[in-house]
Amino acid sequence: MSGDKAAIRGWTRTQSRLGRQAARPVVVFGLLSSLLGVGQAWCVATVLGHALVGLVSGGGAPTLVLWPILAFAGLALLRALIMALSDTAAAKAGIDARRRLRGEVLASILTGGPALLRKTHSGELATIAVDRVEALDGFFGRWVPASVLWIAAPLLILLPVGFIQPRAALVLGLCGASVPFGQALFGIGAAVASRKQFLAMTRLQARFLDRVKGIATIVLAGRADDETERLGQAAEELRLRTMKILRVAFLSSASIDCAMVIALVLVAIMDGKQAMALLSGGTASPALAYTLTSGLFVLLVIPEFFAPLRGLALAYQDRAHAQGAATAILDLPEALPRPSPDGARTVNASGVMVSLEDVCFTWDPARGPALDHVSFTVPAGETLILAGPSGSGKSTIMELLLGFIQPDSGSVRFNGAPLDSIVPDSLSRMISWIGQKPVLFAGTLKDNILFARPDADEADLMAAVKAAAVDQFLPSLPDGLETRIGEGGFGLSGGQAQRIAIARAYLKNAPILLLDEPTAHLDPATEKSVFESLQRLALRRTVVLATHSAAVHMFNGRRVDLQMGRVVARQGAA
Amino acid sequence: MKTSDQTDGSTPALTDRQAILRILRLWHRQAPRLIIGAMLALIALCLGLVLMQASGLRLASSVLGEVVITTALLRWIGGGRVILRYAERLFAHDAMFRALADLRVWFFHSLAQGAAAGLGFRRAGDMLSRLVSDIGTLDGLYLRILVPFACACLTLPILVIQLGRQSVVLGVLVGVLFACSAFLVPYLIAKSGRAEGERLGKNLAALRIGVLDLVGGLREIRAFGAEGRILSHVQADDAALLAGQMRLARRAAYANASAFLCGQAAIFLVLLAAAGALSLHISALAAVGILFLTVAAFESAGALTRAGLQAGVMGAAARRVVEVAVSTPNATQIAAQTDAPEDTHIHLEGVKFRWAPDRPLVFDGLTLDIPAGARVAILGPSGVGKSSLAALLLKAAVPEAGSITLGGEEISHIKADSLRRRMAWLSQATHLFDDSIRANLLLGRPDATEDDLWKALEDAAVADVVKTLPDGLDTWLGEGGIKLSGGQGRRIALARTLLTQAPILILDEPATGLDAQTEQDFLRTLNTVTEGRTVILIAHRLTGVETLDRIWRLSGGVATAAAA
Repeated sequence: MSGDKAAIRGWTRTQSRLGRQAARPVVVFGLLSSLLGVGQAWCVATVLGHALVGLVSGGGAPTLVLWPILAFAGLALLRALIMALSDTAAAKAGIDARRRLRGEVLASILTGGPALLRKTHSGELATIAVDRVEALDGFFGRWVPASVLWIAAPLLILLPVGFIQPRAALVLGLCGASVPFGQALFGIGAAVASRKQFLAMTRLQARFLDRVKGIATIVLAGRADDETERLGQAAEELRLRTMKILRVAFLSSASIDCAMVIALVLVAIMDGKQAMALLSGGTASPALAYTLTSGLFVLLVIPEFFAPLRGLALAYQDRAHAQGAATAILDLPEALPRPSPDGARTVNASGVMVSLEDVCFTWDPARGPALDHVSFTVPAGETLILAGPSGSGKSTIMELLLGFIQPDSGSVRFNGAPLDSIVPDSLSRMISWIGQKPVLFAGTLKDNILFARPDADEADLMAAVKAAAVDQFLPSLPDGLETRIGEGGFGLSGGQAQRIAIARAYLKNAPILLLDEPTAHLDPATEKSVFESLQRLALRRTVVLATHSAAVHMFNGRRVDLQMGRVVARQGAA
Repeated sequence: MKTSDQTDGSTPALTDRQAILRILRLWHRQAPRLIIGAMLALIALCLGLVLMQASGLRLASSVLGEVVITTALLRWIGGGRVILRYAERLFAHDAMFRALADLRVWFFHSLAQGAAAGLGFRRAGDMLSRLVSDIGTLDGLYLRILVPFACACLTLPILVIQLGRQSVVLGVLVGVLFACSAFLVPYLIAKSGRAEGERLGKNLAALRIGVLDLVGGLREIRAFGAEGRILSHVQADDAALLAGQMRLARRAAYANASAFLCGQAAIFLVLLAAAGALSLHISALAAVGILFLTVAAFESAGALTRAGLQAGVMGAAARRVVEVAVSTPNATQIAAQTDAPEDTHIHLEGVKFRWAPDRPLVFDGLTLDIPAGARVAILGPSGVGKSSLAALLLKAAVPEAGSITLGGEEISHIKADSLRRRMAWLSQATHLFDDSIRANLLLGRPDATEDDLWKALEDAAVADVVKTLPDGLDTWLGEGGIKLSGGQGRRIALARTLLTQAPILILDEPATGLDAQTEQDFLRTLNTVTEGRTVILIAHRLTGVETLDRIWRLSGGVATAAAA
């Protein structure tokens, strides 16, 4: 657990460093904006001071001082520009960081490959890549610059204030310095409070989502009213727990308010007293004018001084988002370029013999080996049927042959060459694979078939469509091959989807064909016709077919029966 | 919340404004708290304005040798401001959480009343989780939009009156500038940001689909060596989304700058007046007070520009939530008043059904007879409408023509709750809740005893597994029951179904996702534990181990008897 925390802290630190580089313009613009604000305050104070002194010095109409007013307007325009630039730069920093992080997450997922899906639900992975990364916008756009500006900007403002009125600078400095203490005190309090409440809160929030997802089950079980009531209670509890945290958390921003009010009141009283003292001397002296102007200046600068501190308090929850994301992202494997083994080679691709030699593999030591000294050979152009109940190791063999995982001991060989010595690209060119449920990507039917070979010409495509009997159901689709399928598109039945997978395999035309329970989700009639298509596809290819279907007799070849990861029976010369 | 105003089948398209009003109406129960919260915010704001004005006056008035604002007064205003601001935030958040809790309960309740039953037969999980986040988005409606808006509405007259007392022209000019900054700019940004916001929503959906494809298709991608292609595809989606966000951010930056300039222009005018220019002459002392007031007032208006940016998102979220919650099921509900009869004889006669008017008929004259206590199987390939049959029996869908009777009573006359208590439904879509095993089971029968629970687990052949778990019945199942294997999860769901005392069990492809051996064990269990109840087994094939009285085959919208 402590290792996790250290890793999260390390990740946040790395990201902050990267973020700070990108946020440099935001920080510079922020500082410039503060300086311009100081300049404006001086202009305003000059105008007002002048008017007030004019009032004292004899009631006559004060002479019009135009330059500070014009300067004020000029500075205002400049500041508006700088603010717009700063906002844009902050947005850009957030966007660049998200682009980078999303790229990294996707690369990690692709590196982890199919093995990742054994550990993590695909929906969860997608959430990390989309929503978690999206939620980091505030971290890079707001928190990172705010975490620099909250020290730099007040210090910068303190300089001219100290020059003009050292006393006020001291008051401001002290009030400002008390803010971090208040923040730390209440921040820690809030953290303790939220640690106590966090688990309960997460569960309550998840409960709502979960109940809504399962609402049909609840309604059909006739329990809707009970559950509504319980949901109401859970929401009430969620509110009470959240309020416990907020009660402490709001104190931290109240401490900023408090510091600012104290500074305002102190400066107003102090300078007021001084002005009164000077006034008792008689008429308007230059000293009085200066005290007035500088006093007004400090009062006007106080909100400027505290604004960056508030900005930090506002951005604080953006940091919490980052920590949440860190936990999820750190669980992903590190993105690595796929290793290309020494002496990488290709295998003569026409007619490939596939063999497993004494292969052992364990997914999880607690559950024992998935494959226990398995050996078999499939000569080029022949078919091997892997039979056995689910969990007997059929899918593990498929993943080994596909190179998704490496054996713990023993070797997988293609034409005698160990699999790990073959260039990954060349390996994927040799193998066609059809699983239980092919994934159809969002896009047209044609895109989905061409996925196997994007540069295939029209004739090849049509040949594959015909060979896989995709043309049989084309007329029932609204736009034929251009029909959009996949998420948000036209739904295809299991048998139709499997035919698209077969068409892909035809188009790819690889010498090895791996079939992993291709008819597991089909009814018998559909199963039979899919098997017929597969039989044609299997001609002259080396085929490994994993299945527990009764219709497997349609294929003739060798047969290996597996149970608990061991070979228990062989037929043919396997 | 009665849906009497929604009796006709088609829900009229809602505008965002109507949806938001609808949600505000929902919050009437919390109205006093919400109003008090907003009032506190207003008072805190006023004190903030007064504090700035008073500090300035305190300093300025000393020039005249008199103390207009006493030290004590200043302290009181300052202290009051800090305390009120704290109280306001606490109170407003509390009120908002209460309102959100109401909203969630209302949403769940109306979903349960309306479309929910049908959702079990369609894939709707993604849509629902999106709705949940929409409800979360509505957090901001009160705190970020309504409260600042109310504050601005109060600030405007205060500002105009205070300034107008000195100079009417100045008051009007600054008032107009304030209105621009607080209302016009946010309105314009909300309006212009809407189209862009909608496009962003689409881009985000496209990215999500692309990423889901990438993750779900990892095997295909690796097998076809398509990593590079698919990555560049997703990155193109990502780039489109980010470019849209950049455009929106740029627009927001301009809006912020314009709102800022309005405030600066107001200060500029006050300065001119203080300097005696443009015949806007005001007294120097008043000028100081006015200037500080103006600064503070425009600062509080800044929040509304951000609100304007969020208004589009908020409106769209409100619309989706309200639309789903108030949409009526796809057919009119006849007022059903009867309780379900004791007799459990089911008869379907000439049933015609389709899911939507533009979809083909699923059943065209379906006739079926299932005597009480019979064990029947209904077979057919995927897509032939087997699940639709379950939906019809459970009144999750209503036929276009024909009759469905239970014990001789038309089910359209039977109360849905009463009917569903007579029929227990188990399917692939049956949800296991992220809760303890006990809580999951009790959903079947809330008053079941410990012994009943173990008996049900025993019958579902999963008791041994549960016994080995360290926390037994109190083991947390995890989302969708992921802590257990697929087969074990199905068995927990079966135990829940068996626990209900419903005399009719509808098992809709109960063994999907189980391997052959587990499936046979599962079906053998069913043979022994369901004695005396009507069992309707819906499947695409039989394994041969089921004991059945009758088998029907569905095709072409009708059922034909097959050999038992």
